[in-house]
Amino acid sequence: MTAIRITGGKVHDPANGVDGEVRDVCLQDGKVVAEVGPDAGRIDARGMVVMPGGVDIHAHIAGPKVNAARKLSPEERREDPMDRTDLLRSGTGGLVPSTFVTGYRYSLLGYTTVVEAAAPPLAARHVLSELRDTPMIDKAFLILMGNNQVLFELMRQSGGAVGAGGRWIKDAVAWWLEATGGYGVKLVNPGGVEAFKQDNGNVHSLDQAVAGFGVTPRQVLEAIGGAVHELGLAHPVHIHANNLGVPGNADTTLDTMRTLSGRQAHFAHLQFHCYGGKPGGQIRSRAPELLEYLSSHPEVTADVGQVMFGPAVTMTADAPVSTVLRDLGGGKWINHDTEVETGCGIVPYTYRARNYVHALQWGIGLELFLLGQNPWQVMLSTDHPNGGSFLSYPKLIRLLMDRAFREDQMGRANQRAIGRTALPDGLDREYTLNEIAIITRAAPARRLGLRDKGHLGVGADADVTIYHDRADREEMFAIPRYVIKGGDLAVEDGELRHSDDGLLLSSRAAFDPEVSRVLAPLFGERYTVAFEHYPVRDAALREPARIVEATAR
Amino acid sequence: MTDLASVTCAGCGLLCDDVIVDSSGAAVRLRPECSLGAEWFSQRVRRSAGAPAASIRGQPADVEAALSRAADLLRGARRPLVHGFDWATVEDARAAVALADRLGALIVPGGASGPWPGSPAVPLRGASSATLGEIRDRSRLVVIWREDPVSTHPRLLDRLGFGVGATPRVGADATARLGAERRLVVVDDRDTSTAERAELQLRWPRERDLEALTGLHARHRKLALRPSDLAAQLDGLLELINVVPHAAFVYGAGLVSGRGGQRRALALHELVRALCHDRHVVTLELPPATGTRSVQDVLAWQTGYPQSVDLLSGHPELVTATRPLETGEGVDVSLRVEGAFTKLPDAATEIALSSLPGGSAGTEPEVSIRTAAPGVEANGTAHRLDGVPLALQAPLRGAGPTAAALLTRLLAEIEA
Repeated sequence: MTAIRITGGKVHDPANGVDGEVRDVCLQDGKVVAEVGPDAGRIDARGMVVMPGGVDIHAHIAGPKVNAARKLSPEERREDPMDRTDLLRSGTGGLVPSTFVTGYRYSLLGYTTVVEAAAPPLAARHVLSELRDTPMIDKAFLILMGNNQVLFELMRQSGGAVGAGGRWIKDAVAWWLEATGGYGVKLVNPGGVEAFKQDNGNVHSLDQAVAGFGVTPRQVLEAIGGAVHELGLAHPVHIHANNLGVPGNADTTLDTMRTLSGRQAHFAHLQFHCYGGKPGGQIRSRAPELLEYLSSHPEVTADVGQVMFGPAVTMTADAPVSTVLRDLGGGKWINHDTEVETGCGIVPYTYRARNYVHALQWGIGLELFLLGQNPWQVMLSTDHPNGGSFLSYPKLIRLLMDRAFREDQMGRANQRAIGRTALPDGLDREYTLNEIAIITRAAPARRLGLRDKGHLGVGADADVTIYHDRADREEMFAIPRYVIKGGDLAVEDGELRHSDDGLLLSSRAAFDPEVSRVLAPLFGERYTVAFEHYPVRDAALREPARIVEATAR
Repeated sequence: MTDLASVTCAGCGLLCDDVIVDSSGAAVRLRPECSLGAEWFSQRVRRSAGAPAASIRGQPADVEAALSRAADLLRGARRPLVHGFDWATVEDARAAVALADRLGALIVPGGASGPWPGSPAVPLRGASSATLGEIRDRSRLVVIWREDPVSTHPRLLDRLGFGVGATPRVGADATARLGAERRLVVVDDRDTSTAERAELQLRWPRERDLEALTGLHARHRKLALRPSDLAAQLDGLLELINVVPHAAFVYGAGLVSGRGGQRRALALHELVRALCHDRHVVTLELPPATGTRSVQDVLAWQTGYPQSVDLLSGHPELVTATRPLETGEGVDVSLRVEGAFTKLPDAATEIALSSLPGGSAGTEPEVSIRTAAPGVEANGTAHRLDGVPLALQAPLRGAGPTAAALLTRLLAEIEA
């Protein structure tokens, strides 16, 4: 790890109020420093754009769900092989690349930190094993807790409250993070997945009780969302709301936001959750209403989950949604039920520009980006690979920065759908480089509570991406001139120069160890894994890691 | 080994992690009782006494010399084969694929001379599956298709809730709603121990499985059918399925191996998919060996393919043939990793890194290094047959390196 001075570049570091100033950035021992000695290596960045390394707040890159998707589509991998080199492992690409290729390609894109957004806690060892085989990036994973029978039981005992008897919910959440090495808590269709696993059911409102438990989605949101808030985890509760993709689901999403009012919350792939219309009918956009709510509630953030025209792979713990997609297309479908905790559905899917619904989804995503007033609240994601591959980020950035390109793309899409969005109504906004830096690194890092990420202030991780300042923003963001990871030159002109294992990021919150006595009998009743064997203790999986401590509220 | 140890048993793919090993007597005993598990532990406990740590051409050698010889062989190999994995851990598999990648090797989970899986059915249409607890707590009907888990996975039925006094547990209300009655059906024309425990046994020869599966599917869709002597049995099974909200099919090599295996597996998954429109139906696949699921998963995430992979071209290529080694494949050096002894068809030079090296006089590997047995002498991670990852413990300590450690050393030597 050497000292490096990056000279002459236009620096976009919005977290520190730097917007395109020409200044040097100094790196030493893996960190941004104020100054380096005269012997430091130099990178001449004149005419180039310097940003912190990219941070993806919501993607699906590792774990049993992702691996099942790999198994489902060998033909896609066969078309996209990657050869081994003296430096790199071989692998295969496609929409769900093998682990090594995932790490390499994120790095080649200028990303240095990625969050796996949905991992069954029971599968933590598997997730950790895959992440250990995903090089070049620092990574974290969120554990699924929205359909956990043990937590349901604790809620039932406490009437859904976090206080009083419900104190164990908070301790249990902290225990689960400790047991798995997870970074944060994800709720997916709270209650609905459990209903699906019982008999193909679902829940359709926040007050519909889950059979067998008498617990409602609203109680789940309040109990677990409240627990995460009170624990003060670095990342707030991460929510995939009920009724994903259902016409009229904006009501559910707003109800969910209001239920969590006053508490920190992040809403995943908001595009799929801001639809008007009536169930069974066609969707329409209610993105402006959602954005209006966000504008008056700074405690709420979202990533967009933009769909990109072309192939995708839908993979979700929201297994009932996958059955809808299965029946729409009639193609491949995987379902996998994980005891006590969650479900999983996988359906390969293609978003077509001429399709009304797909074009409307595309337009709604762009509305969220372009009508939103605060880029710190609405972050870039395609919910990789659900809305499209992370490799499509450069094109998405161009859609946001280049009005003419956007209008050209709009012209290729279903006009009836586009006409039902705000896009043709003189929406001429073009994102600035600083705004792109916000939605792709500064805001996600801040929302994840990663103080060392997403900025270039002294003490930050030496994760830096340097781009040619090209007029074609897609080309610019597709092939960074340099990517520096942890102070080492990882990528140069589209070539990987250095292999790095990357760090695991975990979080930790204090909990009453007595919670084990509460959990053990519930585990014994429900899991087929012994309570004492559930926690992941293997150092080879858990370490090295950076532990981010919670700050209790 | 201490007399009593609480461990995860790696004797079969069930990876029961509620096992107490009792080695206080002449024979190793397990609680809960499991003859297969006890034999598995006994083999590994017994073999630890007296066996050399390494050998070259059947003569005792020190580990360093054996490693050096193995590295020389692999370095000079034109067509290396990496295979075995019968009881490999995830860590072993990760290290083996890394080495195979560097060597450009052919990598084959399972014995090289046994039946290969051929083209898997899952990529054609997908599948619906579940972990053990889901089936135990929700499935009102479990159909075991041409498998005898009482012999191969002795505690499976107990773990699926078919033990004495077992009741499903999905919350008190749900249990009451679903009722307590559960049914076990076996499809098999053999008189097996599993069939003895079934409420109903359906009999037809294996050659008619495809006809039976497609017949069930057609009956479910209420299609007009030609008369068949299977009709009564199929209608009876469909009736049982139609009255439950949740059902499971357990299958394995009995259905999917050999000629036509892919088609039969596809027919099962198509049937399940069709049934899923009216109720929740899942499958559970019984793997041939403890390590099968672990190595399949590792191969999938490291290469993109879950089974035999050829890395000769510099990148992974899926191998879908059923018995490629019959034609030789030109394999000149074989590296067996935590697998049972296999006589190779083209007499390749063999390296064995295994806790049970195997072989007999005249068939000893060129190089053999005894590894610490996963789950007995070495910790590790293994994936249960339903994909659940579990930790393996090491109640017996200090018996040499793991296969993963040796493979990592070999890679370092070859790259040096």
